[in-house]
Amino acid sequence: MSTQNQNQNGYMLLFRGTDLRKGLSPEELQKVTDNWMAWFKRLTEEGKAVAGNPLEREGKIVSGKDRIVSDGPFTESKEAIGGYFLLDVPTLDEAIAIAKECPGLPYGIRVEVRPVAGECPIAADIRAEALFAQV
Amino acid sequence: MQNMNTQKQNGYMLLFRSDEWYEELSHDEIQKVISQNNDWIEGLIAQGKAKPGHALQRNGATVSGKTGRTVSDGPFAESKEVLGGFLLLDVETIAEAIAIAQRSPTLAYGTSIEVRPVAEECPLDVRARELARQEQFATA
Repeated sequence: MSTQNQNQNGYMLLFRGTDLRKGLSPEELQKVTDNWMAWFKRLTEEGKAVAGNPLEREGKIVSGKDRIVSDGPFTESKEAIGGYFLLDVPTLDEAIAIAKECPGLPYGIRVEVRPVAGECPIAADIRAEALFAQV
Repeated sequence: MQNMNTQKQNGYMLLFRSDEWYEELSHDEIQKVISQNNDWIEGLIAQGKAKPGHALQRNGATVSGKTGRTVSDGPFAESKEVLGGFLLLDVETIAEAIAIAQRSPTLAYGTSIEVRPVAEECPLDVRARELARQEQFATA
């Protein structure tokens, strides 16, 4: 379905992986950092990135009916999110092409590409169901 | 251990993770949660504590490998809890961010919320500079 690969609300890039600060030489680390910041700067100037932030490798997790607060495995986890970009591009292909430029990829960073939803996807599903039910 | 009342300038991000908990609920129950959730978020925005957040569609792609060659369909890898959306909070302490997260209406249905400080500077850059300084001293 061609509409699946286009999106008016843009795409989010989520950068997942272990902490790059461990295991890289100082020169490599400086190079990745410089490249990453230049990448974001260029995307912003081209109007393709509208926001981006790195996240600190610490934090908490709130979960469950009892709202329990626990520490997160943010430093060792390969799944931990280290930051994000919000992209203003119209197609998944373009968002993927940008993701492929990520300077962290050779070092094991994985980039998750997600279409931003215009409204809560659950709400959209329910409305669709309700429409079918009326028929 | 981090101090819950340390103040940070750049705010906090709430990352909402869940499985498809709504599959079990009735239409009315889901409508109710959605409406509670919207009220909660709009309330935070009205108080100036949150910027409008984003829900994410439950599909997409993952790019990985040295040259970004590998593109696989999402959702995603080993994580059983797909990231469903996020909210950026403009509050000063993690204690406050956690207190807000604890009032999320979807927690009652088993979702979890990650609370992360937004970094002022890219942590890679901070570390690179630190290492450069150490090298300088070493060769002095």
